[in-house]
Amino acid sequence: AEGKRQGCCRPPSRPSPQGLVKFQPSLWPWDSVRNNLRSALTEMCVLYDVLSIVKDKKFMTLDPVVQDPLPPKQNPQFLQLISKKKSLAGAAQILLKGAERLSKSVAENQENKRQRDFNSELLRLRQHWKLRKVGDKILGDLSYRSAGSLFLHHGTFEVIKNTDIDLDKKIPEDYCPLDVQIPSDLEGSAYIKVSIQKQAPDIGDLGTVNLFKRPMPKSKPGSPHWQTKLETAQNVLLCKEIFAQLSREAVQIKSQIPHIVVKNQIISQPFPGLQLSISLCHSSNDKKSQKSASEKQNPEDHLYVLEHNLHQLIRECHKQTLSSTVMPHPASAPFGHKRMRLAGPQTFDKNDISSLQSNEGLLEKIIKQAKHIFLRRRTARTIDSLASRIEDPQIQAHWSNINDVYESSVKVLITSQGYEQICKSIQLQLNIGVEQIRVVHRDGRVITLSHQEQELQDFLLSQMSQHQVHAVQQLAKVMGWHVLSFSNHVGLGPVESIGNASAITVASPNGDYAISVRNGPESGSKVMVQFPRSQCKDLPKGDVLQDNKWNHLRGPFKEVQWNKMEGRNFVYKMELLMAALTPC
Amino acid sequence: MGVAQVPVAEGKSLQQTVEILTRKLELLGAEKQGTFCVDCETYHTAASTISSQGQTGKLMYVMHNSEYPLSCFALFENGPCLIADANFDILMVKLKGFFQNAKANKIESRGTRYQYCDFLVKVGTVTMGPSARGISVEVEYCPCVIANDCWNLLMEFMQSFMGNHTPGIPSVFGTKHDSIYSPADTMVQYMELFNKIRKQQQVPVAGIR
Repeated sequence: AEGKRQGCCRPPSRPSPQGLVKFQPSLWPWDSVRNNLRSALTEMCVLYDVLSIVKDKKFMTLDPVVQDPLPPKQNPQFLQLISKKKSLAGAAQILLKGAERLSKSVAENQENKRQRDFNSELLRLRQHWKLRKVGDKILGDLSYRSAGSLFLHHGTFEVIKNTDIDLDKKIPEDYCPLDVQIPSDLEGSAYIKVSIQKQAPDIGDLGTVNLFKRPMPKSKPGSPHWQTKLETAQNVLLCKEIFAQLSREAVQIKSQIPHIVVKNQIISQPFPGLQLSISLCHSSNDKKSQKSASEKQNPEDHLYVLEHNLHQLIRECHKQTLSSTVMPHPASAPFGHKRMRLAGPQTFDKNDISSLQSNEGLLEKIIKQAKHIFLRRRTARTIDSLASRIEDPQIQAHWSNINDVYESSVKVLITSQGYEQICKSIQLQLNIGVEQIRVVHRDGRVITLSHQEQELQDFLLSQMSQHQVHAVQQLAKVMGWHVLSFSNHVGLGPVESIGNASAITVASPNGDYAISVRNGPESGSKVMVQFPRSQCKDLPKGDVLQDNKWNHLRGPFKEVQWNKMEGRNFVYKMELLMAALTPC
Repeated sequence: MGVAQVPVAEGKSLQQTVEILTRKLELLGAEKQGTFCVDCETYHTAASTISSQGQTGKLMYVMHNSEYPLSCFALFENGPCLIADANFDILMVKLKGFFQNAKANKIESRGTRYQYCDFLVKVGTVTMGPSARGISVEVEYCPCVIANDCWNLLMEFMQSFMGNHTPGIPSVFGTKHDSIYSPADTMVQYMELFNKIRKQQQVPVAGIR
């Protein structure tokens, strides 16, 4: 066998005819093989002989050699244990393999799912925001440029894949595989604060007063959803744009009292002694600002309406810039606004064209609105304070619900309690504008009052005083008395500081008595009663008027102590007086 | 609303007559409000298009009015009036094959614009090329949009400074009835006035309405 192996190891050499011819026994390469084969053959022959002898079982037998035997009890148990152990190990291995594969596939699944979540979130993001891919980043646009804004801020945010979360820990509820990175200057929240104050504060604390007034709503510890994040950032951007536009206009516009722009505040004086401040309040989430927010909690004088209107105005601005380049556009027409384009064919004259081009700025508009709001508020306050101060006559104000931003109206009625039906003479329509109040009287007279509070108050007071005399006139009609004279503006007697006194004289149905009323806004009412001459005993009997017929002459006037009269108001007292003087 | 021609006063030059008119207006209390200009260019229909139909060429007038700075008016005699934007002039250059500009026929009226309360008065000198041909007066009563309703008022007002040269009711009003007066009606009146002045070529003094 050894020789065979050796032979095998050697490269098989071809039997060359040359080798056979030159036979040299000592050098022949198969020599050892032949020797081995021969010895093997010898041994085989011996083995064969032995076997044939053993087979006869005559001269030689084979007997097994007895080894020391194993303990007979232990053996099967041990074998069993080993075999069990082995099979168990096999099973365990199979199970482990399976588990490994399973966990692998679960992890893969989760990874896939997260990936899918990210993609679906991205899809949702794309439905609301403009995205573009730059290199390996996804950038988004939160500026209003596509809506017509010309603000220079780029307003770019970056979309981040937020998938490297630790799998072993519990996933928080508000976990989102997509996150956004907004520019640092757009973080936090911002709003425009518009307020009207009475007096100018010290120059020293200008610009910082209203910085962080509104405390931030307590945000949850987790990061907010990307949608809210983007929306607040966009709001910050819009507020910044509004403020930038306003401050630019404040510097550019020449006004009598220059507008002041300090830090984050624009201050303007719509009326003397009054200041309108527009400030940009931008609060980031850091603790410092929240601290100062809690420190300063002044009474809220924020005009939400104006803040809202500012937003609306800037949107309008955007729309205008957008519509100037809107398509489709006639090929032959000049570029520009559509109304401008139609100005030629519609033969606009110079006034029309200049009205098209008049571009009132944001600041001017908002100041006008603020003026109007202030005027409206003050008018309401004036009327209310008069109504609460003066009980007789009564004053009622009916405010219209729907106003223009620059104009609103109120209807003022002056009545006497209990006599609303007969005393309806004074009905005023107050049209409150930007700078002035136009009063339209019931008879069509128009009176223009300035923004001064005193003017309106004086006017209403004089109207109230006139009302009383009007009421007497109406009452006289009802009671059957005759009006002898009536005057809204009496030129006699003491001069009133406000308006004029008015007067009326009425005579009783049979003409015996006469009542004369003079009512002034300041001096109040003075009521006199004229008695017939016959009733006056203390009248000196002159020698001239002896005859009885002179008794029909009218007698002297006597003043009525009006505050001692019974009755809850002027008209009621008058009714009682008339009734008393009317013979049954 | 009303456009009329005023004859040159006897023994006075055209310029002097204009001065007399404006002085009268100023004495009335009218305020000067800059200048105005109405110009008119004439276009012939090109020969090629006429011969095929065997009719005489119609004249088209392209006019501008400084009162309507962005508009351009194209009128045919007794025909429609087209109002377009200022690009119409460029379009006419493109239509050279159909309409040819008679450059020599360009006529315009330039002068001063006066405002007297609700009245707008424009006194202008009509020039054709280098020579002054006549005087035009346009009077408008701004608050009223129906010409027939305020014609008598206009007449009365015109009498105050034009004296016996006050014109009769313009032919445009006859067809308008109660419809709203438009800028095109003014342009038609100017066109008629210009045509009349063109016809009285050599005699600039004899302008009787």
